[in-house]
Amino acid sequence: MLSKVVSFGLRGIEGFPISVETDVSNGLPKFEIVGLADTAIKEAKERVRTAIKNSGYEYPNKRITLNLAPADIKKEGSLYDLAIAISILATSDKLEINPKNFVYVGELSFDGLVRRVKGVLPLIISARKHGYKKFIVPKENASEAGFIEGVEVYPVSTLTECVNFLKGETIIEKVKVGNFDEVVSEGECILDFSSVKGQQRAKRALEIAAAGGHNLLMIGPPGSGKSMLAKCFPSILPDLTFEEALEVTKIASIAGELDLKAGIVSKRPFRSPHHTASTVSLTGGGTNSKPGEISLAHNGVLFLDELPEYTRHTIETLRQPLEDGVITVARANATVVYPATFNLIASMNPCPCGNFGSKDRECHCSPNQIHKYLAKLSGPIMDRIDIHVEVDSVSYDDLKSEREEECSISIKQRVDRARQIQLDRFKSSSNFSNAKMSVPQTKKYCKLDKTSEEILRTAFDKLKLSARAHDRILRVARTIADLEGQEFIQPQHIAEAIGYRSLDRKYWG
Amino acid sequence: MREEEKLLVLLSQFELPLKKIDNILNCLGERQSIDEFFKSKECKKLISEELYANMQVCASEARIRIYLENLKNSGIELITKFSDNYPEKLAYLPDAPYFLFCKGDISLLSAKSIAIVGSRTPSNYGRIMTDKLSEGLAKNGVCIVSGLAYGVDSIAHRKALDEGGKTIAVLGSGFNNIYPAEHSNLAKDIAEKGLLISEYCPSMKATRYTFPQRNRIIAGLSDGVLITEAGIKSGTVHTKDFALDYGKEVFALPGNANSEKSELPNALIKSGQGQCVTEAEDILTGLGMEKNFKAQNKQKSFQLSLEEQEIVDLLSDGDKNIEFLSEKSTLNINILNSYLTTLEIRGIIRRMPGGVYSLA
Repeated sequence: MLSKVVSFGLRGIEGFPISVETDVSNGLPKFEIVGLADTAIKEAKERVRTAIKNSGYEYPNKRITLNLAPADIKKEGSLYDLAIAISILATSDKLEINPKNFVYVGELSFDGLVRRVKGVLPLIISARKHGYKKFIVPKENASEAGFIEGVEVYPVSTLTECVNFLKGETIIEKVKVGNFDEVVSEGECILDFSSVKGQQRAKRALEIAAAGGHNLLMIGPPGSGKSMLAKCFPSILPDLTFEEALEVTKIASIAGELDLKAGIVSKRPFRSPHHTASTVSLTGGGTNSKPGEISLAHNGVLFLDELPEYTRHTIETLRQPLEDGVITVARANATVVYPATFNLIASMNPCPCGNFGSKDRECHCSPNQIHKYLAKLSGPIMDRIDIHVEVDSVSYDDLKSEREEECSISIKQRVDRARQIQLDRFKSSSNFSNAKMSVPQTKKYCKLDKTSEEILRTAFDKLKLSARAHDRILRVARTIADLEGQEFIQPQHIAEAIGYRSLDRKYWG
Repeated sequence: MREEEKLLVLLSQFELPLKKIDNILNCLGERQSIDEFFKSKECKKLISEELYANMQVCASEARIRIYLENLKNSGIELITKFSDNYPEKLAYLPDAPYFLFCKGDISLLSAKSIAIVGSRTPSNYGRIMTDKLSEGLAKNGVCIVSGLAYGVDSIAHRKALDEGGKTIAVLGSGFNNIYPAEHSNLAKDIAEKGLLISEYCPSMKATRYTFPQRNRIIAGLSDGVLITEAGIKSGTVHTKDFALDYGKEVFALPGNANSEKSELPNALIKSGQGQCVTEAEDILTGLGMEKNFKAQNKQKSFQLSLEEQEIVDLLSDGDKNIEFLSEKSTLNINILNSYLTTLEIRGIIRRMPGGVYSLA
């Protein structure tokens, strides 16, 4: 007897169809799986046999050969359990189930329960592209499918339920398509800029960074609130669009970090890997290729606290994603591309002890130590950071002040407006923010009048800025002008932008 | 070339301690020529076999000529204690350097000069005042002598170069091992527009002993020594001691009594060893130099808008950080940011590390 059912495998965030073919023939009882399966799949034999038996069905006491086609691609994970079980049961004459038309995903437990698996969302989206419409998924994963149009997703909690459904004995309600806007308005940000006292300039810099998609570096002594400011940053970013949210959810789903209640990620992710993080944990990859921190920060914020403490190698790997918005992980058995478009917010101390330049505390580092510390920031990475802002520690008076601080929502309104201007501006090109402007675009959209030109020229002369600051200043000035809704860059915009290049200044050391 | 001078040129090729050179010169004493010296018994006692062999090889006329030519090709001029152009200021010092490797304009060796020395990690106050005083001195045509170190030294050198003035950097290492390496570019600029000198042969590396030694040249070469900021136990103390030994004027910039960095200058003023300096003119007067250029009070000569005046007023009683400015001023942070930049570009205020501003 031969049966065929369809399941789906994942490579990166793209799925590919897998045909699970089972042949049951007379011979010594034996169960063999072919088709480049990993250990988790090989072990499926035991899970499937026990689950079938404990669900009260008859396990064929014959020679079973199972093929996962296409046979030349490596397959991994436990998500094929359900497909294998159904495929075996379908060979039996007694049950008479018709497994066709469905895509099966799910892991089995010994007692026949269907357990949650990773990556259901990207899998359904890919399968829809391949023309598959009907899915049977673990009940726990059902919420992930709740925002995809044009598919029928049936959640099951046990193997028996699945078999009965296929026999037509029970009816399972398919998952309803939810309303994304409702989910977005539901979620609330806990951290708000109104809870940060003082730090006006840093807040302003973050507002500009949010508006123009600029990467930003905060420099300040320990305890000055750099991390706090960074954590508030997502609250002023524009809301995720549905397409963006799907992308974020896909990655979270593969990484197994999806909140199953909501089913979709509605807030921009904020990732802050520790500085001891390995390179692979940041970029993704490994033997069971998984998205790394930078992909989990896709469409959101990657916060690198204490930037110089990261190993140089780790920092260098950020170069490609910062440029292209994707990370390509090449391994011996596969090359995987994960999306990684994120806003980089980094922070650092000005010197090893952290007090260099502080008004109140004395720095005890030798000039050599300071130089070595700053030299850890590689040029190529610094070239991709548009805004540097110095953050000083907050005084007690500031902490206790009753002054009303501006809340994130009103900052966000300005950011949204500036983003809209950029969307209109870059309608016909591939980028969508001022930070990503190419050189010709910078020339086109950042024209300066005479006064502004003069300011920039004298600034370079007098403040000894390094040459690479030039285009960065223009782009930031463009964003500042957008925040004010001005069509042309005014002298005050360029002057403000110049103020955000403190690391280019020669006064360090 | 006299035999003594020739011997010094020969010795300058080896990294020898001063003591040894002293002894060798004494040993040459009344002997007529280097050859005679090599043949003497004392000579063999004095120097190791290896060095003896090396020296003999290098002692020929031809080899010495090639050596001097090679130096010249890399832009280095060698002045020995017995050269005709050895600076007078150094000549009478008890521990005058035997060699001066020079790169640049050697006429500066006899120019009116002030040494500006101090902490490698000056406070913002120290930075600003060093900058200001250097500017005043450079504009009055005084040559600024310092040691190319981090902090006060490099600020003084840079300011002198920026103002088109003259400056001498005395190294604590050979020319091929500029220390700190970050200042290689600064050294290059100084060699082009001023003078770079070292008493060590180009291949010599800096050690902890070479820096105090070069401080005596800094003190010796200058007519006065200005200490802007330094701790009571810092290396600057050496420079001060040398200056006092040599009978040079010492000038000190007063600082806060509770600031570690101002300990040395304050102590000098207190004990009367140093003259109190608050502006460049004080130094010029102290040395009886002419004042050609009077620094103007910049703020008054500038036209300020209302907003700019507000910022300048806020800064009138000392440095303030951006936090304070945004709190106290009526301006929005974006407007404030842009005015701060324009004021800085116009040279009315200064920005320092940590987002701290002060009047220039």
